Amino acid sequence: MAEAQVELREEINNRLLRLQNELSDYCFQCAKCTSGCEAHKLLELEPHKIMALLKRGLIDEMVNSDVIWTCMSCFKCRERCPQKVSPVDVLFALKNLAVMGGKQIPGNYTSMLQSILSMGLIQDVQEVQTRDMKTRRREDLGLPRVSKPKDASKFQMVLTKLAVEKV
Amino acid sequence: MKKYTLYPGCVMQTEQYGYELSIREVFPVLGVELVDVENFSCCGEPVKSINQLLTLYLSARNLAIAEQQGFDLFVPCSVCHFALSECKNILDNDGGMRSRVNEMLASEDLEYKGKVGVVHTVDLLYDHVGVKEIKKHVKKPLKGLKIASHYGCHLVRPSEIGRPVDSENPMKIEAVLEALGAETMDYAEKLDCCGGLLLVNLPESALTKTGQKLQAVEEHGFDGLVTVCPWCQRMFDSRQKKAGETVAAKLEVPVFYLTQLLGLAFGLDERKLGLDLNLSPVDKLKV
Repeated sequence: MAEAQVELREEINNRLLRLQNELSDYCFQCAKCTSGCEAHKLLELEPHKIMALLKRGLIDEMVNSDVIWTCMSCFKCRERCPQKVSPVDVLFALKNLAVMGGKQIPGNYTSMLQSILSMGLIQDVQEVQTRDMKTRRREDLGLPRVSKPKDASKFQMVLTKLAVEKV
Repeated sequence: MKKYTLYPGCVMQTEQYGYELSIREVFPVLGVELVDVENFSCCGEPVKSINQLLTLYLSARNLAIAEQQGFDLFVPCSVCHFALSECKNILDNDGGMRSRVNEMLASEDLEYKGKVGVVHTVDLLYDHVGVKEIKKHVKKPLKGLKIASHYGCHLVRPSEIGRPVDSENPMKIEAVLEALGAETMDYAEKLDCCGGLLLVNLPESALTKTGQKLQAVEEHGFDGLVTVCPWCQRMFDSRQKKAGETVAAKLEVPVFYLTQLLGLAFGLDERKLGLDLNLSPVDKLKV
């Protein structure tokens, strides 16, 4: 477990370093990413500013900020960047670093991760309501059994190696 | 009958039964046979913020399982379709990462070889089946209905990894809708996000995005909205009431899966298409 953690941290650090190097070469602050950003108007995410701060080496500051968790991963910044910089992936890397560094994970991410570890899916099979408030289960509707990992222990073994220590 | 393995993902098979029901009803009519396979898991995309490597591994695992069947993989969820496509793109171009992932997969006797293609509802309908074939099965044309299409971010972008539709002006859903006899219209908010992936940590903001887009659809005078992703549908349909409360508006937009509209136009039974599970006011439409 500890070994896997070190390996993962290295992996993420390397990726971020690579991204940062690419950024210094390519991002010229045209702000096309921010102009199309789905989280910009509502949550004041400004990807081009994050890129600028990273270029100046403010990685820790970004890792510890809440703003990195406002990205909706719409991928418009990655699509439209004339320099093929991908702010959305930089944000994923920053969030991964925050988790690795032991920052509290916001929202329900932890329960989704725990559910994946225990049954392979982000949530258990739900009962749903019809428009006229009747309850329906999957099997009532004639749907086949859900597809999920057959050998849970083998599945968990690899995932636990990969997953964060805190969970 | 052309065969595809069905990859159900998490959201569709644990909650969005209307999508799965309508898919299982409609595709056999179009000569597409779906093969169910055990042992799939989450694609990993929902937890990418926590651990990107975990996402890559989970996607690779699902692709490796699909390879054992030999058919192309039909992935109706846009988020899963993105994750599996990106994984394919990485593993097919980065030999080092591929052998690293394969070492981990070996513990479940799996191996990624890169042999299966990944298709989504939209390209399965438009590119594999084709509009001509779809038209042949229309018994009750959706005459007089003006439908807004919502493609969903993960289906549309990023084009560099290969997406089934154009990244700035996708038109394949419109083509299918027109084959069913419905009217379509371009609108400024067409590419706006549903907010779905933000529901996990910032639900208020996520629902604001949902509400704003639904308001726009209403203002443009559309009769309904069509989706092709269980994440988008669970925002626009399942949570429409909450989204309305969040943006302080009474929203009444009928929201359908594209496959449900196909089924209606083919004259299939509403129940079998899971239409009673849509929580938006779909009864408003006289189909």
